[in-house]
Amino acid sequence: MAQGEKQRSVLRINLDILNAVRDEGEAKPTHILYKANLSHERLVKYLEDLTAKGLIEMKQEGENRTYNLTPKGVSFLIEMRHAESFVQGFGLAI
Amino acid sequence: MASGALITFCLNIMSALVALLTSYYAYKANRYVSSSVLWAISIGFMLLGFGLVIDAGTSLISGRTLVDITGRTAGESFSDRVLTLLASLTYLTLQMVAYLVIAIGYARSTYGRQLGTAAPAAAVGATLVSLYTFSILSYFVTLILLAFVVFQGLLLRSGRGGRLSWMVLIAFLLIFAAHCVLLVSVLVLGPGLFLVGTAIQFLGFLSLLIFVVRSEVIGPG
Repeated sequence: MAQGEKQRSVLRINLDILNAVRDEGEAKPTHILYKANLSHERLVKYLEDLTAKGLIEMKQEGENRTYNLTPKGVSFLIEMRHAESFVQGFGLAI
Repeated sequence: MASGALITFCLNIMSALVALLTSYYAYKANRYVSSSVLWAISIGFMLLGFGLVIDAGTSLISGRTLVDITGRTAGESFSDRVLTLLASLTYLTLQMVAYLVIAIGYARSTYGRQLGTAAPAAAVGATLVSLYTFSILSYFVTLILLAFVVFQGLLLRSGRGGRLSWMVLIAFLLIFAAHCVLLVSVLVLGPGLFLVGTAIQFLGFLSLLIFVVRSEVIGPG
Protein backbone atom coordinates (compact mmCIF):
# COMPACT_ATOMS: atom_id res chain seq x y z
CA MET A 1 0.00 0.00 0.00
CA ALA A 2 1.29 3.46 -0.87
CA GLN A 3 2.33 5.66 2.04
CA GLY A 4 -0.54 7.89 3.19
CA GLU A 5 -3.14 5.69 1.51
CA LYS A 6 -5.76 4.56 4.00
CA GLN A 7 -6.76 0.92 4.18
CA ARG A 8 -10.26 0.34 2.85
CA SER A 9 -12.82 -1.08 5.23
CA VAL A 10 -14.57 -4.38 4.43
CA LEU A 11 -17.78 -2.41 3.89
CA ARG A 12 -16.02 -0.04 1.45
CA ILE A 13 -14.63 -3.01 -0.54
CA ASN A 14 -18.06 -4.68 -0.63
CA LEU A 15 -19.59 -1.38 -1.84
CA ASP A 16 -16.92 -1.02 -4.55
CA ILE A 17 -17.71 -4.56 -5.75
CA LEU A 18 -21.48 -3.96 -5.69
CA ASN A 19 -21.09 -0.64 -7.54
CA ALA A 20 -18.90 -2.36 -10.16
CA VAL A 21 -21.52 -5.11 -10.62
CA ARG A 22 -24.30 -2.50 -10.88
CA ASP A 23 -22.37 -0.42 -13.45
CA GLU A 24 -21.51 -3.43 -15.62
CA GLY A 25 -24.91 -5.11 -15.54
CA GLU A 26 -23.75 -8.67 -16.19
CA ALA A 27 -20.31 -8.22 -14.72
CA LYS A 28 -17.38 -10.51 -15.47
CA PRO A 29 -14.99 -11.21 -12.57
CA THR A 30 -12.07 -9.59 -14.42
CA HIS A 31 -14.05 -6.33 -14.79
CA ILE A 32 -15.05 -6.37 -11.13
CA LEU A 33 -11.46 -7.14 -10.16
CA TYR A 34 -10.24 -4.14 -12.14
CA LYS A 35 -12.92 -1.72 -10.87
CA ALA A 36 -12.74 -2.83 -7.24
CA ASN A 37 -8.93 -2.90 -7.30
CA LEU A 38 -8.53 -6.31 -5.64
CA SER A 39 -6.36 -9.39 -6.08
CA HIS A 40 -8.06 -12.42 -7.63
CA GLU A 41 -7.84 -14.40 -4.40
CA ARG A 42 -9.50 -11.66 -2.34
CA LEU A 43 -12.13 -10.98 -5.01
CA VAL A 44 -13.23 -14.64 -4.99
CA LYS A 45 -13.62 -14.52 -1.22
CA TYR A 46 -15.68 -11.31 -1.33
CA LEU A 47 -17.85 -12.55 -4.23
CA GLU A 48 -18.61 -15.76 -2.34
CA ASP A 49 -19.52 -13.72 0.74
CA LEU A 50 -21.81 -11.34 -1.20
CA THR A 51 -23.47 -14.27 -3.00
CA ALA A 52 -24.07 -16.03 0.33
CA LYS A 53 -25.69 -12.84 1.68
CA GLY A 54 -28.00 -12.74 -1.33
CA LEU A 55 -26.76 -9.36 -2.58
CA ILE A 56 -25.44 -10.69 -5.91
CA GLU A 57 -26.13 -13.81 -7.99
CA MET A 58 -23.82 -15.76 -10.24
CA LYS A 59 -24.67 -16.97 -13.76
CA GLN A 60 -22.57 -19.69 -15.35
CA GLU A 61 -22.77 -20.15 -19.14
CA GLY A 62 -20.13 -22.64 -20.24
CA GLU A 63 -16.78 -21.14 -19.35
CA ASN A 64 -18.22 -17.68 -18.74
CA ARG A 65 -19.19 -16.59 -15.26
CA THR A 66 -21.05 -13.31 -14.67
CA TYR A 67 -22.53 -11.57 -11.65
CA ASN A 68 -25.75 -9.56 -11.26
CA LEU A 69 -27.24 -7.55 -8.44
CA THR A 70 -30.24 -9.18 -6.76
CA PRO A 71 -33.24 -7.00 -5.71
CA LYS A 72 -31.83 -7.24 -2.16
CA GLY A 73 -28.50 -5.96 -3.46
CA VAL A 74 -30.19 -3.03 -5.23
CA SER A 75 -32.07 -1.96 -2.10
CA PHE A 76 -28.89 -2.42 -0.01
CA LEU A 77 -27.01 -0.05 -2.36
CA ILE A 78 -29.81 2.55 -2.09
CA GLU A 79 -29.77 2.31 1.73
CA MET A 80 -25.99 2.59 1.73
CA ARG A 81 -26.13 5.66 -0.53
CA HIS A 82 -28.26 7.44 2.08
CA ALA A 83 -26.12 6.19 4.97
CA GLU A 84 -22.92 7.30 3.21
CA SER A 85 -24.35 10.77 2.62
CA PHE A 86 -25.33 11.08 6.30
CA VAL A 87 -21.94 9.81 7.49
CA GLN A 88 -20.03 12.19 5.18
CA GLY A 89 -22.06 15.10 6.57
CA PHE A 90 -20.48 14.50 9.97
CA GLY A 91 -17.01 14.37 8.39
CA LEU A 92 -16.74 10.58 8.51
CA ALA A 93 -16.01 8.00 5.84
CA ILE A 94 -17.23 4.45 5.27
CA MET B 1 -49.70 31.59 28.98
CA ALA B 2 -47.07 34.31 28.34
CA SER B 3 -46.13 34.71 24.67
CA GLY B 4 -42.44 34.12 25.50
CA ALA B 5 -43.23 30.70 26.96
CA LEU B 6 -45.42 29.82 23.97
CA ILE B 7 -42.68 30.79 21.49
CA THR B 8 -40.14 28.80 23.54
CA PHE B 9 -42.49 25.80 23.54
CA CYS B 10 -42.99 25.93 19.74
CA LEU B 11 -39.29 26.42 18.89
CA ASN B 12 -38.10 23.77 21.35
CA ILE B 13 -40.65 21.16 20.31
CA MET B 14 -39.64 21.59 16.64
CA SER B 15 -35.94 21.46 17.57
CA ALA B 16 -36.65 18.30 19.60
CA LEU B 17 -38.29 16.62 16.60
CA VAL B 18 -35.26 17.40 14.41
CA ALA B 19 -32.90 16.14 17.14
CA LEU B 20 -34.84 12.85 17.42
CA LEU B 21 -34.94 12.52 13.61
CA THR B 22 -31.15 13.04 13.44
CA SER B 23 -30.73 10.46 16.21
CA TYR B 24 -32.80 7.94 14.20
CA TYR B 25 -30.80 8.47 10.98
CA ALA B 26 -27.52 8.20 12.89
CA TYR B 27 -28.77 4.92 14.43
CA LYS B 28 -29.80 3.67 10.97
CA ALA B 29 -26.44 4.58 9.41
CA ASN B 30 -24.60 3.02 12.36
CA ARG B 31 -26.22 -0.36 11.63
CA TYR B 32 -24.13 -0.50 8.44
CA VAL B 33 -21.06 1.55 9.34
CA SER B 34 -20.53 0.71 13.06
CA SER B 35 -18.75 3.94 14.03
CA SER B 36 -18.29 5.24 17.59
CA VAL B 37 -18.98 8.79 16.34
CA LEU B 38 -22.31 7.73 14.80
CA TRP B 39 -23.22 5.90 18.01
CA ALA B 40 -22.39 9.05 20.00
CA ILE B 41 -24.39 11.24 17.60
CA SER B 42 -27.36 8.88 17.87
CA ILE B 43 -27.33 8.78 21.69
CA GLY B 44 -26.41 12.49 22.00
CA PHE B 45 -29.22 13.75 19.77
CA MET B 46 -31.70 11.39 21.43
CA LEU B 47 -30.82 12.87 24.86
CA LEU B 48 -30.97 16.36 23.36
CA GLY B 49 -34.39 15.62 21.88
CA PHE B 50 -35.76 14.33 25.21
CA GLY B 51 -34.25 17.33 27.02
CA LEU B 52 -35.87 19.78 24.61
CA VAL B 53 -39.23 17.99 24.96
CA ILE B 54 -38.96 18.34 28.76
CA ASP B 55 -38.08 22.05 28.47
CA ALA B 56 -40.91 22.63 25.98
CA GLY B 57 -43.29 20.79 28.33
CA THR B 58 -42.14 22.92 31.27
CA SER B 59 -42.78 26.12 29.27
CA LEU B 60 -46.21 24.85 28.24
CA ILE B 61 -47.32 23.72 31.70
CA SER B 62 -45.78 26.49 33.83
CA GLY B 63 -46.24 29.26 31.23
CA ARG B 64 -42.69 30.46 31.93
CA THR B 65 -39.26 30.09 30.33
CA LEU B 66 -36.10 28.83 32.03
CA VAL B 67 -34.96 32.42 32.70
CA ASP B 68 -38.29 33.24 34.40
CA ILE B 69 -38.03 30.11 36.55
CA THR B 70 -34.39 30.91 37.46
CA GLY B 71 -35.13 34.55 38.27
CA ARG B 72 -38.44 34.43 40.14
CA THR B 73 -39.77 31.63 42.32
CA ALA B 74 -41.97 33.59 44.73
CA GLY B 75 -45.76 33.47 44.58
CA GLU B 76 -46.21 29.85 43.54
CA SER B 77 -46.96 26.65 45.42
CA PHE B 78 -44.16 24.48 46.77
CA SER B 79 -45.07 21.50 44.57
CA ASP B 80 -45.16 23.67 41.41
CA ARG B 81 -41.77 25.13 42.28
CA VAL B 82 -40.24 21.68 42.88
CA LEU B 83 -41.68 20.32 39.62
CA THR B 84 -40.45 23.21 37.47
CA LEU B 85 -37.04 23.10 39.19
CA LEU B 86 -36.75 19.35 38.60
CA ALA B 87 -37.83 19.68 34.97
CA SER B 88 -35.35 22.50 34.34
CA LEU B 89 -32.52 20.60 36.06
CA THR B 90 -33.33 17.49 34.01
CA TYR B 91 -33.34 19.51 30.77
CA LEU B 92 -30.01 21.21 31.53
CA THR B 93 -28.40 17.93 32.63
CA LEU B 94 -29.65 16.03 29.57
CA GLN B 95 -28.40 18.82 27.30
CA MET B 96 -24.98 18.83 28.94
CA VAL B 97 -24.68 15.02 28.85
CA ALA B 98 -25.88 14.98 25.21
CA TYR B 99 -23.13 17.36 24.03
CA LEU B 100 -20.65 15.51 26.25
CA VAL B 101 -21.50 12.21 24.50
CA ILE B 102 -21.15 13.84 21.05
CA ALA B 103 -17.85 15.48 22.03
CA ILE B 104 -16.49 12.17 23.41
CA GLY B 105 -17.55 10.44 20.18
CA TYR B 106 -15.58 12.96 18.11
CA ALA B 107 -12.64 12.83 20.54
CA ARG B 108 -12.45 9.04 20.34
CA SER B 109 -12.53 9.26 16.57
CA THR B 110 -9.66 11.75 16.50
CA TYR B 111 -7.49 11.04 19.56
CA GLY B 112 -8.27 7.45 20.57
CA ARG B 113 -9.99 6.22 23.71
CA GLN B 114 -8.07 7.91 26.51
CA LEU B 115 -10.22 11.07 26.58
CA GLY B 116 -13.51 11.82 28.25
CA THR B 117 -13.26 10.32 31.72
CA ALA B 118 -13.06 13.54 33.79
CA ALA B 119 -15.94 15.40 32.13
CA PRO B 120 -18.83 13.18 33.41
CA ALA B 121 -17.65 13.72 37.01
CA ALA B 122 -17.78 17.48 36.46
CA ALA B 123 -21.34 17.16 35.12
CA VAL B 124 -22.47 15.18 38.19
CA GLY B 125 -20.76 17.61 40.59
CA ALA B 126 -22.53 20.55 39.00
CA THR B 127 -25.97 19.17 39.94
CA LEU B 128 -25.28 19.92 43.62
CA VAL B 129 -25.66 23.70 43.24
CA SER B 130 -28.70 25.99 42.84
CA LEU B 131 -30.69 26.25 39.59
CA TYR B 132 -29.24 29.69 38.80
CA THR B 133 -25.65 28.53 39.31
CA PHE B 134 -26.41 25.22 37.66
CA SER B 135 -27.89 26.98 34.60
CA ILE B 136 -24.77 29.11 34.21
CA LEU B 137 -22.46 26.12 34.76
CA SER B 138 -24.49 23.97 32.40
CA TYR B 139 -24.50 26.52 29.58
CA PHE B 140 -20.79 27.20 30.16
CA VAL B 141 -19.87 23.49 30.04
CA THR B 142 -22.15 23.03 27.02
CA LEU B 143 -20.39 25.95 25.30
CA ILE B 144 -16.98 24.38 25.84
CA LEU B 145 -18.26 21.01 24.58
CA LEU B 146 -19.87 22.64 21.53
CA ALA B 147 -16.68 24.58 20.76
CA PHE B 148 -14.83 21.24 20.83
CA VAL B 149 -17.46 19.60 18.55
CA VAL B 150 -17.26 22.52 16.07
CA PHE B 151 -13.44 22.32 16.08
CA GLN B 152 -13.50 18.55 15.49
CA GLY B 153 -16.15 19.00 12.80
CA LEU B 154 -13.88 21.51 11.06
CA LEU B 155 -10.91 19.13 11.27
CA LEU B 156 -12.87 16.15 9.93
CA ARG B 157 -14.57 18.23 7.23
CA SER B 158 -11.23 19.49 5.91
CA GLY B 159 -10.12 15.85 5.56
CA ARG B 160 -13.09 13.92 4.19
CA GLY B 161 -16.32 15.90 4.43
CA GLY B 162 -18.98 15.48 1.75
CA ARG B 163 -20.65 18.34 -0.07
CA LEU B 164 -23.43 18.50 2.55
CA SER B 165 -21.08 18.55 5.54
CA TRP B 166 -21.04 22.38 5.65
CA MET B 167 -24.73 22.23 6.68
CA VAL B 168 -23.84 20.14 9.75
CA LEU B 169 -21.02 22.55 10.54
CA ILE B 170 -23.36 25.56 10.22
CA ALA B 171 -25.87 23.74 12.46
CA PHE B 172 -23.28 23.22 15.21
CA LEU B 173 -22.01 26.82 14.80
CA LEU B 174 -25.56 28.19 15.17
CA ILE B 175 -26.21 25.99 18.22
CA PHE B 176 -22.89 27.23 19.65
CA ALA B 177 -23.89 30.87 19.01
CA ALA B 178 -27.30 30.16 20.55
CA HIS B 179 -25.68 28.87 23.74
CA CYS B 180 -23.49 32.00 23.96
CA VAL B 181 -26.69 34.08 23.91
CA LEU B 182 -28.48 31.69 26.30
CA LEU B 183 -25.58 31.88 28.77
CA VAL B 184 -25.70 35.69 28.71
CA SER B 185 -29.51 35.63 29.08
CA VAL B 186 -29.22 33.47 32.23
CA LEU B 187 -26.41 35.69 33.60
CA VAL B 188 -28.41 38.90 33.18
CA LEU B 189 -31.81 37.19 33.59
CA GLY B 190 -33.01 38.62 30.26
CA PRO B 191 -36.14 36.91 28.89
CA GLY B 192 -35.78 38.67 25.52
CA LEU B 193 -32.23 37.39 25.07
CA PHE B 194 -33.39 33.92 26.10
CA LEU B 195 -35.94 33.93 23.27
CA VAL B 196 -33.29 35.13 20.79
CA GLY B 197 -30.99 32.28 21.93
CA THR B 198 -33.81 29.73 21.59
CA ALA B 199 -34.59 31.06 18.08
CA ILE B 200 -30.92 30.80 17.00
CA GLN B 201 -30.81 27.26 18.39
CA PHE B 202 -33.90 26.44 16.33
CA LEU B 203 -32.16 27.80 13.19
CA GLY B 204 -29.29 25.42 13.95
CA PHE B 205 -31.70 22.48 14.10
CA LEU B 206 -33.35 23.75 10.91
CA SER B 207 -29.98 23.55 9.14
CA LEU B 208 -29.65 20.00 10.48
CA LEU B 209 -33.12 19.15 9.16
CA ILE B 210 -32.22 20.46 5.68
CA PHE B 211 -29.07 18.30 5.79
CA VAL B 212 -30.99 15.15 6.84
CA VAL B 213 -33.65 15.67 4.14
CA ARG B 214 -31.07 16.45 1.43
CA SER B 215 -28.86 13.50 2.35
CA GLU B 216 -31.92 11.24 2.03
CA VAL B 217 -32.86 12.72 -1.38
CA ILE B 218 -29.53 13.50 -3.02
CA GLY B 219 -27.09 10.93 -1.62
CA PRO B 220 -23.33 11.29 -1.15
CA GLY B 221 -21.34 14.10 -2.75
